Amino acid sequence: MTKWLWFKLVAVLALVGVIVGVCFLEDRMVKDALGEVNTRCYEIETAIQENGGIVNGEVASLVDNLEYEWFKKESGLCFLVNHKNTEQLGVEIVRLKTYIDEEEEIEFYVSLNIIKNYVETFQHFMGAGVENIL
Amino acid sequence: MSKKWQKSVFFDIFFIFAKDNGMLTIVFRAIIIYVVVLFLYRLMGKRQLGEMQPFELVLTLIIADLATIPMAEVSVPVLHGIIPLLTLVVLHFVLAFLCKLSEKFSQFVSGKPVIVINPKGIDYKALKNLDISVDDVFEALRGSGYFKIEQVQYAIMETNGKMSVLPKSNFAPLTVQDMKLQVEKSTIPINIINEGKIVKDNLGIAKLDESTIQKILKKANVKRVKDVLLLTVDKAGAVYLQKYHEKYVTMNISPLGEVEE
Repeated sequence: MTKWLWFKLVAVLALVGVIVGVCFLEDRMVKDALGEVNTRCYEIETAIQENGGIVNGEVASLVDNLEYEWFKKESGLCFLVNHKNTEQLGVEIVRLKTYIDEEEEIEFYVSLNIIKNYVETFQHFMGAGVENIL
Repeated sequence: MSKKWQKSVFFDIFFIFAKDNGMLTIVFRAIIIYVVVLFLYRLMGKRQLGEMQPFELVLTLIIADLATIPMAEVSVPVLHGIIPLLTLVVLHFVLAFLCKLSEKFSQFVSGKPVIVINPKGIDYKALKNLDISVDDVFEALRGSGYFKIEQVQYAIMETNGKMSVLPKSNFAPLTVQDMKLQVEKSTIPINIINEGKIVKDNLGIAKLDESTIQKILKKANVKRVKDVLLLTVDKAGAVYLQKYHEKYVTMNISPLGEVEE
């Protein structure tokens, strides 16, 4: 084999490596980011039940943490996922903070459920299932 | 001001500017995608559009389309454009490899050459199978330089869509062999000076040194190498020299290394 053919072979193998690597990385990053959001949403729900409402320091702190963690992970996700698919989640998290300030509990629950639903549907949307491929 | 500080300030200003500039994002994306596509095409080899096999043509069309999506749409990550490109190129190599391994697979993917004109004339069944008309055949024949069908012995439709034509012996172009002439062997001219620059790699191939080039330039009244548009030398020692905006001159290098007009 000539040097050029060797180069081609190595390059093709490297390309396969890149494709597989990116697929794994995306899967890991998305699951990690959405799993984190999901866990924090349940923590917020528990805190609301324990404190009897959304207007308390613990819930506000948990929402702040959720916002911080999400925006930290979103910047990494932007390398792999369409920004338009993730921006809704950020919007709903910001709304949670506003609803605490405005003491709008029902809207707070709506947004929290939208986030939880979004996390679930996004995970379905991400997988390489037959319905997504076709 | 130290150079390090200047460098740091320059990069800080650049990144602050770049961070808020959507158009600059598109510029960088275009550069990245251009480099990736260029690399992939180099990897796939040199093929002209008309010489492509069907699967290569499909690949080219899809690549062109895929490359533009992340370039224009900032919300789409560049990887969304690059990963399908890489996948298609890997697929291309797999197909090319399988085509080399199996003749049947190659025929399935690329088809096989079909004789459309034989000594009996046009093979209408072949035309029907290829879904081409008699006009298409004539167009291809004219493109090959044959305007009458009776001049053609065989015409073969190749897998890349081009038609190869074998003329009847009495209509074939006259060759030196037909004339039974003794001619010198053809040699390829080697570029020694190209647009004012000596092509150093070619000096060894032409077995020339710089002193011989200087002799050639002196003979042609050329003072500087950069005044030369083109200087070629073939294995037989024939020299072609053209200065910028002037008519060319020819000369010969003798086996002893002397330059003669």
